[in-house]
Formats: sequence, C-alpha cells, structure tokens
Amino acid sequence: MKNYYTIALAVTTLAFASCEDDDSNSSVNGSQSTEVVAPATYSFERNGESTVSFSGQTTRIQMSQELVSAMNDFDNATETSLSNMFSNENNPFPNEELNASDKSVKSKVAASTDYFGNNAAASATIKAFFEARLSDQINEVFPAQMTAASVGVAGQIADGESTRYVNAQGFEYNQIVAKSLIGALMVDQALNNYLSTSVLDATTNIEDNDTSVLVEGTTYTNMEHKWDEAFGYVYGNAVDAANANATVGTDDNFLNKYLGRVDGDSDFTGIAQDIFDAFKLGRAAIVAGDYELRDEQAEILRIKLSEVVGIRAVYYLQQGKNAIEANNYGTAFHDLSEGFGFIYSLQFTRNPDTDAPYLSAEEVAEIINTLTVGNGLWEVTPETLDTISETIAARFDFTVAQAGS
Amino acid sequence: MKKIFGLLAISLVIYACGGDDSPVSTDTTDTVNTVNFDRSAMLTNWADNIIIPGYQDLVSKLSALETATTAFTDNSTDLTALRAAWLDAYTTWQRVSMFEIGPAENVNLRLNVNIYPANVATIQDNISAGNYNLDLSSNRAAKGFPALDYLLYGIGNTDAEILSYYNGADGDAYKQYLTDIVSDMSSRSNTVLNEWEGDYRDTFVNNDGASATASTDRFVNDYIFYFEKHLRAGKMGIPGGVFSGTVEPTTIEALYAGGISKDLFIVGLNAVQDFFNGKSYNSNAQGESLATYLDELNANKNGADLSEIINTQFDISRSAVMGLSSFENELAVSPPTSFLNAYDEVQTIVPLLKVDMVSAMSISIDFADADGD
Repeated sequence: MKNYYTIALAVTTLAFASCEDDDSNSSVNGSQSTEVVAPATYSFERNGESTVSFSGQTTRIQMSQELVSAMNDFDNATETSLSNMFSNENNPFPNEELNASDKSVKSKVAASTDYFGNNAAASATIKAFFEARLSDQINEVFPAQMTAASVGVAGQIADGESTRYVNAQGFEYNQIVAKSLIGALMVDQALNNYLSTSVLDATTNIEDNDTSVLVEGTTYTNMEHKWDEAFGYVYGNAVDAANANATVGTDDNFLNKYLGRVDGDSDFTGIAQDIFDAFKLGRAAIVAGDYELRDEQAEILRIKLSEVVGIRAVYYLQQGKNAIEANNYGTAFHDLSEGFGFIYSLQFTRNPDTDAPYLSAEEVAEIINTLTVGNGLWEVTPETLDTISETIAARFDFTVAQAGS
Repeated sequence: MKKIFGLLAISLVIYACGGDDSPVSTDTTDTVNTVNFDRSAMLTNWADNIIIPGYQDLVSKLSALETATTAFTDNSTDLTALRAAWLDAYTTWQRVSMFEIGPAENVNLRLNVNIYPANVATIQDNISAGNYNLDLSSNRAAKGFPALDYLLYGIGNTDAEILSYYNGADGDAYKQYLTDIVSDMSSRSNTVLNEWEGDYRDTFVNNDGASATASTDRFVNDYIFYFEKHLRAGKMGIPGGVFSGTVEPTTIEALYAGGISKDLFIVGLNAVQDFFNGKSYNSNAQGESLATYLDELNANKNGADLSEIINTQFDISRSAVMGLSSFENELAVSPPTSFLNAYDEVQTIVPLLKVDMVSAMSISIDFADADGD
C-alpha cells in the first residue's frame, strides 16, 4: 500500500518537476532482502520446540500484583511484610512459587542498562522512593483507616460506592506505587533494556544468533530471549501469550491493562494491535537475522508504549480535573493518584529521536512538586491540572482532548 | 464487598445503550421554530408536587420506623411491627431514590441508605466493637435498608433465633446498632428534606435555563442515570448476570426478607414512569413533565409520538416483570430466560430516554462511564 503511494507521489513529482533527480525509485525497489513475515501469533519454534520464554517477567508481574493488593490489607500488612514483598525476602508471598523464585520486583526497578547502567545513584533514589511509599502507607494511612479524610488529615473518603484510603494530601499510596511501577519496572525494562541494542547485541549475541548458538540448557538464542523478555513485560501474565492481543487489558493491572484501556479509546484504537504486531515482526526479524528490521520494530514499540503512559497521565489529570470541578473529591483523589503514578512513569519512557525520556526525571519532579505542594490534592486547581496536561501532551503526538476522555 | 465493587465496575464498563438509530424528528418546520415550553413550570411541578412530597413521605415513614425500633428495643419479643415499618419505609424509598440532586447528592443519600447486599462482616464487626462511625465511607454497606434487612431477617434462620440475638448476652449491642442505623437514615433524610423546604427549592426552580448546569439538564441526567444503573442494572441486570455472565442471586435487593425484590422494582419503575408523566406524588393530577415537553417539541419516532412510545415501553416492561414469579424463583432457573426477557424490555427504555429523549431536548448526557481503575 505504502509503495503505491510512493509511486503515485513519484509520478506526480515527475510530472511537475521532471528536471530534478528523483530518488524515490529507490524506495519502490527498496526492500532488497527477502521479506520477513511475522507469524499470526507470538509463537516461534526451533526443531519443533518453542523458543519463547519470559517466565521471569510473569513472576515479577505477579509479585507486583501481590505487593499492591497487600498495601490495602489493613489486617495483616506491616512495614516489614511490604518491604519483604518488594525485595522477595523471607517468603513474603502467599504463593509459594513466588517465594521460591530468585527474582524480585526491587532488583528490576530503575535497572535498565541504557538509563541506569551508569547511574546507580538515580536507580537507588527511585528504589528508595518505592520503599518510602510502602512505609508511608503503613505509618500514615493504616492508623487512619477509620478516620474521615479531610484537609491535611489522612483517612478514608468515598468515591462512588468505593472507599479510598488517602494520605493527608489526598494521595493513595497504593495507586502511586502501582502506576509508578508501570514506568519504573515494565516500561524501563522493556524499552531501555531488552529492546536496546546494548542488550540485544551484547557480547557475542549477533554471532550466536546468526549461527544458532543456543543459551545452554535452553531452546533459544540469547537475543531471542532478550526480545521475549521485553514482550513479557507487556503480555507475561496472559493465559495464552501467543495470542495475547485477544485478551489485552485483562491480563494484569499494569502495562497490559492500560494498553487495553488506551486501545478502547476510539482516538487510539489499533494501538494494541500495532504493538503486538511489532513484537511479532521484531522477533521474526531476529530469527531471520534482519537486525535493521528488528530495530525498526523496537522503535515502534518505544514510541507506542511511551504513548500509552503519556495518554494515561493526561487522561487521569483530566478526569481528576472534572471530578474536582464537580466537588467529587474522593473520585478526584483516586484519579489523580493514578495520574501521579503515570506522570512518575514518564521519566522511563523512550523517545527514539533523542534516546531520552519524553519528560526528564527533573521535569517529572517539577510536575509532582506542583501536585504535592501545601495540602496537595485538596488545593490543586483545575488550571494547574490543565497546564500539566498540556505540558505532557505537547511532547507527544496526541492532544489533551484526545487523551482526556 | 469486593464482589460488589467488581460487579459495579463491570456494570459501569459494559453499560448498554442499545442500538436503535432511527432518527427522532422534532418539528422544526413551523415558521416559528422556537419552542415555547416552560421549563420553569416543569421544575415547579417536579419540586412542589413530586420531590418535596416524596421526601416528606420518606421522612414520615422513617419517623414511624424509629418509633417501631424504640418499641422493639424496649420489648424484643415480636418482629412483626418493626418489619412492617421497615418495608413501608423501604417501599417509599423506591419512589424518591431517583431524586439524587442537590441536597441528596451532597450527602450521597442513596449510597448511605441503600447499598445492597449489606456487608455482613462489617455489621458484625461494628456490633461487637460497639464503637463505629456511621459517617465513614467504609460503613455505608453496613447500614441503611439492607443492613436492616439482615438484622431483621438474616441473622438467624427462624424468628426465634433472630430474637435470641436481641435478648442474648450481646442484646444491647444489637439493639444499639439497630437504633443507630435507623437514626442515621432518618437524620440524613431530614437534612435533605429541610434543604428542599428551605432555600434549595427556589434554587432548583429558578435555575430554569437550558445549559449543562441548568436544573432540567442536570436532573434529566440524574434521572436517566438512576434508571440505567440503579433500577435496570442494580435491581435486575446484576442479579441476572447480564454484565458478568454469571447469575448472582445473592445480589438482589432485600435478600434476607425474601420474595419482595420484584415488588420493590415495580414500585421503582412506577415512580420513574409517574415522574416522566409529571404525576403528583400524592394524587393523580398531572403537570408539566418530560412527556409534555416532548409533546411540545413534537418529538416523534417512526411516525409516532415519542412520549407515547416511551410510555408504551414502560407499560410493556411493567407487564413483563409483573408476569414473573419472585426474583428468587426466576433466578433459580438456569438460564433465567424469563427474567432476562423481562430485563430486555426494561433495557429497551434506556436508549429511548438516553438517546431519543435527550436529543429532542438538546440535553447532553454528562455521565460518561468512567473506566474504573
């Protein structure tokens, strides 16, 4: 299809400017190598055995779910138990399989090669941010379980039929942690680690992949596995991962869920298929040894997965604004706590044009500062929320209106 | 509790707005195409003849419930009078639940008196703690009509067993809780009535323009929201498994009393239709209403008056539900086909109100379904 347009354009160009050299023929005949075709599902085999593996991602998604739900377990959670869940120490999970795992959420928070390989201090600060929110939940919110929240007072507040438990500024720490993990764990690991040439092409990966040298004791090459691990942070908890786009939005409460939500907004319908297709084609390109095509898919994934974070940040800011205007503080606090997490997550996004986040850590800190100043959400104005929304949307290829509803 | 939220979330996400796209035409071919409908007269009729008398009735029934509660706690030997007073007040509630605007919206009256099924664990915790704050959001499912349903019908298998709780070692705690939750309902309803009888009536009636914040636009939204989420989904759709795919018989209204959730539904449906027609709360007199407004606009659909189409569909729905056995019996059938057929008739009203009526009136729907978390 694209080629037809190119031809049409080329003809037009020739007709009106025939004296100029026309180099668009090269793109008509551009794909010189045999075309890599993605399979219908995310299934890849070697000698009749599947080569797809991302169990570590599935484990971390499940650990994250346990951690977030434990944050509202008023009867049982303690500062120690939450911290143990974050770092998977002392058998903290009800699920023995998770306890037996040598993986943890904490070890992969802010831990990508590209963003944090040379930035241990930033990584430690971000890990400490999560630990502090876990402690805050126990020390600020738990004692106020049966207190009505008010300006400067932590406690509970109604949001429709639900009850939300907020800190003195109106923030729900469980929402902050959950939505911040989307950036700090899933997006960072996928976009800045496993989809990066620094990881995909590390050591002898290209040579090994070209010659089918497998990771010992496995069915896959190192490069194949790295790509799968990126895939796993989006689809790792799907029942049928090969066909994961069919259930997108329902497979976890993190990146998968919000990819589904964004896809459900008619302004962005199709984004989930685009992302699934890019994962498939990139993986097929690895099998075919076409690394240029692989990196093109990585670029698509960086743009679109970053967009999911940006869209949801603006969405919740706008929903929160509407709720504040309707004096629905419980609803507003819930939305804006989720918004906080998505804003925090923006520092882990990846703009392929700059190889930097769409909003830097400093910019994110500045925005968060405007939300948390004084009495926080009790005092934030619709104007402030609009300003932040515009700031974020301006970095992406969507408008506040498109993202906001 | 979790389950209720889950169901709610699902029902919010998958609300249906059936697909009938035959256009509604309003007659704009007249030389004078501004419509002379007097929204102020409609608002006056709503406030003075329907809403305020409705709240007066509720307050009086709750006062009777308080009296019956006191009589019962003084001498806890017979549940009959207290149960009757509860049912009377609960039935009255069905006629005013839709008026969640202004004072009722400010105090979230509906969520404070009728989240069902009740959260039995929280009720038990509160009673044994003897120390509870009924203003807390987390206690809303532990009070109101559904908590009374549990306390008067559900705590024991027989009347003797139920009474034994009120006369046993913790009897005082049970009686205190009963007294406190009845008083909570009564005081909240009084607050709402007092505001309507005070300044709010004029505020409501005088805000008679046509904009998103005008009384008509806002109340029409609240009315449709009530119909769609609370009457249609809450009382029938959720128990029938329409949104979850699984029949949920324990989510019916008045679960413990048994056999009356259909009656409560019918009272609610009648109230919605009466409101549509501007029928006075205490008589058969009719005033300016959504129906007369549609007639004034000459709103029609497929050549028939829209107000008549809507009234006909209300009638069909009522017949369909009246034709059912108790909701318990219907939901025990697998799949509950008759129940779901009746539900479908109720559902058919939604697009008539939410698409056809509002477009004729140039009112925008303001309750976009939040997508949950």
